[in-house]
Amino acid sequence: MRRTALRSIAAANAVLALAAGLEAARRPRYGGELRVEMRAAVASLDPAVVPDDPAALGAQRQWMPLVFETLVSLDNHGRPQPWLATSWTHDAARKAWIFQARKNVKLHDGSIWSPPGGSIMVPDDRPIEQILRELAGARSAVTVKAEDGSLLGTGPFRIARWEAGKAATLVAHDQYWGGRPFLDSISVQMGRSLADQASDFQIGKVEAVEIAARDLRAPKQRGTTIASMQPLETVALQFDGGRVPAPVRQALSLSIDRTAILNVLLQKQGETSGALLPRWLTGYSFLFPSERDLAKAKQLLPAPQSLTFGYDRQDPVIRPIAERIAVNASEAGITLRQGAGAIDVRLVRLPITATDAWLALQDLTALLKVAPPSPAANSYESEKALIDSSGVIPLFHLPRGWMLSSRVRNWPRFDEVWLDVGAAQ
Amino acid sequence: MTFRTKLLFISSFTVAGAVALVTGAVSISTRRAFDTIDRERREALLTQFRDELAARSVEVARRVELAAASPGVQQIAAGAAEYDRAQTEAVTADLDFLDVVEPNLTIISSAHWPARFGYQNDWQIAPDDWHTSDVFLARIPTPEGSAMALMAVRPVAGGKALVAGGRRLSPELLKSLGVAPGMRALLWLPPGEVIDAEGSVRDAQKLAPLIQDVRSTNAEATGSVQWTSDRRSSEAFLALPITRAGTLAGVLLAGTSLSTQLGLERSILRTGVVVGASGIVIGVLLGWWTTERITRPVERLAAGARAVAGGDLSARVEVLSRDEIGELAQAFNRMTEQLLEQRERAIQAERVAAWRELARRLAHELKNPLFPLQITIENLQRARESSEFDEVFRESTATLLAELGNLKTIIGRFSDFAKMPAPQFETVDINEIVRGVMKLNDARLKAEGGATVQPRLELTSGSTQIQADPDQLRRALGNLVLNALDAMPDGGTLLVRTALHDGGVRLEISDSGQGLTEEECQRLFTPYYTTKQHGTGLGLAIVQSVVSDHRGKISVASASGRGTTFTIDLPWTQADSLVVTGESA
Repeated sequence: MRRTALRSIAAANAVLALAAGLEAARRPRYGGELRVEMRAAVASLDPAVVPDDPAALGAQRQWMPLVFETLVSLDNHGRPQPWLATSWTHDAARKAWIFQARKNVKLHDGSIWSPPGGSIMVPDDRPIEQILRELAGARSAVTVKAEDGSLLGTGPFRIARWEAGKAATLVAHDQYWGGRPFLDSISVQMGRSLADQASDFQIGKVEAVEIAARDLRAPKQRGTTIASMQPLETVALQFDGGRVPAPVRQALSLSIDRTAILNVLLQKQGETSGALLPRWLTGYSFLFPSERDLAKAKQLLPAPQSLTFGYDRQDPVIRPIAERIAVNASEAGITLRQGAGAIDVRLVRLPITATDAWLALQDLTALLKVAPPSPAANSYESEKALIDSSGVIPLFHLPRGWMLSSRVRNWPRFDEVWLDVGAAQ
Repeated sequence: MTFRTKLLFISSFTVAGAVALVTGAVSISTRRAFDTIDRERREALLTQFRDELAARSVEVARRVELAAASPGVQQIAAGAAEYDRAQTEAVTADLDFLDVVEPNLTIISSAHWPARFGYQNDWQIAPDDWHTSDVFLARIPTPEGSAMALMAVRPVAGGKALVAGGRRLSPELLKSLGVAPGMRALLWLPPGEVIDAEGSVRDAQKLAPLIQDVRSTNAEATGSVQWTSDRRSSEAFLALPITRAGTLAGVLLAGTSLSTQLGLERSILRTGVVVGASGIVIGVLLGWWTTERITRPVERLAAGARAVAGGDLSARVEVLSRDEIGELAQAFNRMTEQLLEQRERAIQAERVAAWRELARRLAHELKNPLFPLQITIENLQRARESSEFDEVFRESTATLLAELGNLKTIIGRFSDFAKMPAPQFETVDINEIVRGVMKLNDARLKAEGGATVQPRLELTSGSTQIQADPDQLRRALGNLVLNALDAMPDGGTLLVRTALHDGGVRLEISDSGQGLTEEECQRLFTPYYTTKQHGTGLGLAIVQSVVSDHRGKISVASASGRGTTFTIDLPWTQADSLVVTGESA
């Protein structure tokens, strides 16, 4: 029971789209290799490494908990729950917090994870809520350096093979303190385009591939198993430094017809927004305006503007949005042109890496190269400050979709995913 | 310039001119031939372009109709397809441009610009184009700018939507024309794009004046463009307007590289220069050889003529040929022989005449004293019986002695003329000679009873010292002064003038008498010729002899009623003479 409860906290952001009836009708079985492909190219799962590439950061934050775990985790409501630490208390002077380590936790090399004295002291006199939030973050995952220099974790899978940015094989940790996962291993191919992934999926080469938000409908209509999760990605315009004046940035934001893009280009998958964090995570995103106001946009521009516009032309999600934005902007008198050299504005996908607003903003600040939010400030103020300081214009929140083989069960909680051998391909 | 040089120039210029004329004629005819060929090729290109455009129009119309009938486009029109479905349909229909629009022209799906869904189509075409069945030219907006295309519009689903599709007027169209080598087709498309078979044309602004010409006149125009500093990069263009519904939709430019033509013209020119230069060299050599053959006898003739002019009548020209030049040489030789014979005859005649004149003079001169002698002697014979014999005898003997004296004087004059001595040169001053002679004649000037002769001396202040025989000069000048006084029996002015002259001193003696006739002037220096009743005709002959012995020249100028002027030019020195100074003399 305890293990099930902990898993549900760790994957609080996931919504299962598989048919529950079939799920219940079959009993999970151990064994098998789950083959997965993804666009991101992750260089390392080391929690101390924060990738600059948004896609790599999002993938790293998704896969890292399978290998490295934190002392505490946050449940669906953002409340801290025990994980590798079973309890915590402060010292007599109230200057430090002492976390009691879970017993019988084995590292991936089979040795027992045993902090000195069976506890971990955190010298910090801040309120415990702030400390627990930080400890629940990926950057605070517990790692132990082995004699050969590699990092050892306590998660349900261990790294059997790692080719930075290309491929990885995770093997089940038989002595996992929460119980061995059903899968024997997970094979991950990185840096694969969506088209390549779809092709590999069609020929049965892999069991799980990513799918663009706009394409979520069609496979589902053809009977293919689609798993979509709550919006975990923010599409935004990111300006380079302070070259572009604020009125021009605002005019560009006002010129974009987010609704048309969402309805037509994204096939209504996701939501329009003027906020960085999605509504399901904060509940206040409506406070950030996202409506189009072309007249006001024109008023803000004293003269026609021309900006260099950058985006990933190979990204099937980003490219049509970028082209539509260019059309919208031209109406307001802003010419967005692709060109070499310094890029004035770039259309990017920013990952939502945590179910906690503060933790998610912390990663976004790292990506946007601005100061991290203050743990004491509320998330709205932190997000508004982040938008103002970075000059980023949030546009959409997109769900993350996976196209799954009919054999895959319990997606996307990898520690509970199992392969139904008897299911038809 | 010698005759030979002239002949050389003429032959060289003739050769060079002939080559230049031939070169120019060939160049002009070549250019005309090229122009004719170019025009034919351009017209063929235009025809080919129109045919290709028509064929492609038919193809575009057919493909758009197929697209309009396709299930995909039907789905787009019904709103049952994704926004970029037109891209798939465009690929299927093999069209560069495909828009499915609502009847109000709102884009449902665009193949070439998917992001423009929901926008009003703003192609720069007339509204009627959307409902015409014809294929038309239109400028299609794209994310990269705009492009000209052949377009057609067809209704979809009974008019619920329209599908507009077409193909780009791309370099491939021009490439498919298969133009002849050295030619190319260019297409100007508004507002300012110029393409050829390879793509966009660089430096297209150089075509701007030609295109502007077509745009302003809406008629074909011609011109040429030199793309680089090298003339061989020049290209001649025929620009033809492509109109649609009365408006200019584009300009087709048929270009012909002038490199071949210029190369050929240059080759012709180079050949002409080489041939001309060779012709000139050969012409000079041939001319030299020819003129040598032609002018050698002429030069000999000229030399012979110069010799004859110099008094050498014995000069002869060698006859080398039997042509006209040979005949001329023979004639020349005959002429000199005749001249020589004539001179001999003239000399003989002159001698005879001189002897006759001498005899006549002698007879005349001696006859005058002889008559008184005869009378005197007859008087003596008659007076022998008379008483007055003694008185007659004295008178007669006196008369006889006087007349004998006259005879002696006459004989002495002739003797003097015959015995003119050789001059004894020494340095003398002409001015002093003049003054001395005028002084000797001063008494005679004053002794002319009643008739006044006014002497006037105009002597130069420069040095008039020359080498001369002073006695002979005085005698000659005295003769001239006496002649002048004889010419002025009624008085007048005697002017004696000295002046420095080219290489010597000039002496002029002028009277203001009645003057001489032209015949008299010509015969004046002939010995024994005189215009005076009692003259011997030897005075001026002596003067001429003296002047000649001093290597000088004497001339006479006279006009009837205005007197006579004798001019003597004497040189400063006598090169081959012995100068006798006053002391040594």
